[in-house]
Amino acid sequence: MKTRCRKIVSLILAGLMTLSLAGCGKQSAAKDVDYIKNKGTLVVGITDFAPMDYKDDDGNWIGFDADLAKKVGEDLGVKVKFEEIDWDNKILELNNKTIDVVWNGMTLTDEVKNSMSCTDAYCTNAQVVVLPQDKADQYKDEDSLKNLSFAVEAGSAGEEAAKDKGLGYTSVDSQSKALMEVAAGTSDAAIIDLIMAGAMIGEGTSYPKLTHTVELTSEKYGIGCRKGSDLTEYINKEISKFYSDGTMEEIGKKYGVQEALIKK
Amino acid sequence: MFVEVTLSLLKGFLSTVELFALTLLFALPLGLLIGLGEKSKIKVISLPLKFIIWVIRGTPLMLQLLLIFYGPGILFGYNVWGGNSLGRFVAALVAFVINYSCYFAEIYRGGIQSIPVGQYEAGEVLGMTHSQIFRKVVLLQVIKKIVPPMSNEIITLVKDTSLARVISSYEIIWAGESFIKSAGIIWPLFYTGVFYLVFSGLLTLLFNYIEKRLSYFR
Repeated sequence: MKTRCRKIVSLILAGLMTLSLAGCGKQSAAKDVDYIKNKGTLVVGITDFAPMDYKDDDGNWIGFDADLAKKVGEDLGVKVKFEEIDWDNKILELNNKTIDVVWNGMTLTDEVKNSMSCTDAYCTNAQVVVLPQDKADQYKDEDSLKNLSFAVEAGSAGEEAAKDKGLGYTSVDSQSKALMEVAAGTSDAAIIDLIMAGAMIGEGTSYPKLTHTVELTSEKYGIGCRKGSDLTEYINKEISKFYSDGTMEEIGKKYGVQEALIKK
Repeated sequence: MFVEVTLSLLKGFLSTVELFALTLLFALPLGLLIGLGEKSKIKVISLPLKFIIWVIRGTPLMLQLLLIFYGPGILFGYNVWGGNSLGRFVAALVAFVINYSCYFAEIYRGGIQSIPVGQYEAGEVLGMTHSQIFRKVVLLQVIKKIVPPMSNEIITLVKDTSLARVISSYEIIWAGESFIKSAGIIWPLFYTGVFYLVFSGLLTLLFNYIEKRLSYFR
């Protein structure tokens, strides 16, 4: 009986290993551009994240990143399809080929750079502290933050910032969950993207009583492709072309992120 | 690497098992109380209980977790749980106990109602009191009858504990996913399945044994 159990367990394990290996698909990644051209669609992994990727009134995906991705799709001669993903599973989706590229205001952290092939940075952003308005005056600088409990998105730049500054934090599964923590008082404050904070809190949002104060770190946005993919270089070239012909500036102004663009 | 992952997952699995065991500890007796109350002839007791069971069984457990943890702070401006990991665990436990009590209550009720009226009547003829009939005649048979549906529900609980991650009460799935985020390796997430399989396998053996031991009256 014992040996049989062991055999079954090892069989299951072996099955899982091959499954995870098959998911990587390392050999084919180098010909990603051909693969995408052949199938005729570029599948872009996104989350609902204004002003980078969000839906207009007719339900079409628009935003700074979405418009830029459409331009790249035009030059590739393929259709662009937007796929809303669980941000936690972006690497899984990419390796599984359910998406071809992660293009959603993605901060270039070490974690991201280790697990994907990333383009050059095209945008800067900051990590800011979000607090209830009535407490904001007490926490104007970094030293005052030591005794607060923070909510941060797991694996995000906000989590790295909290770790670096030695702040007490709980990781939650999304930035919007982090805001909910502050609104519910289960955490004192959250650390999220400046761009996101601009869109999600303050007058006229679900969180009118929240505001952002201290800027902890600034960071750069990039686009993620499969490890070893030749799509990375292709998008890099496309973006430098968009810089020289003014497309970047034009789309940036449309969504109010022109200040954040990295000039080349 | 394999050893490191296994140790880290084991740590996550420990919180899974804690949540599982404590839920059972509280939900099994509470479920019996609710089940008996629901059968009560006093409407003030039975109607509210029926309403609660309807709500709890009619909404997703994930929603109940979110409401119990974030609800008090957002609706009433008063956070009752605290934000640390213990507070999150307790909130998850409360949600699980309420949810599973309601399911257990229905299993108990089904078991009790399956005893033919004739046996109660026979008991009365023999001059037994109501509580004597319940303890000495009904309960013995009920315990036997509810073991299969109970074991079904309890094995579901093993896997439902993974829902605790929505309020950031960490468990084994979270531990597995953290390897994707930190190192870009995927297999630990699927490897967590082995832990669930082994645990529910052990439970299945345990329930088989219990069923055999309870084969009195055969």
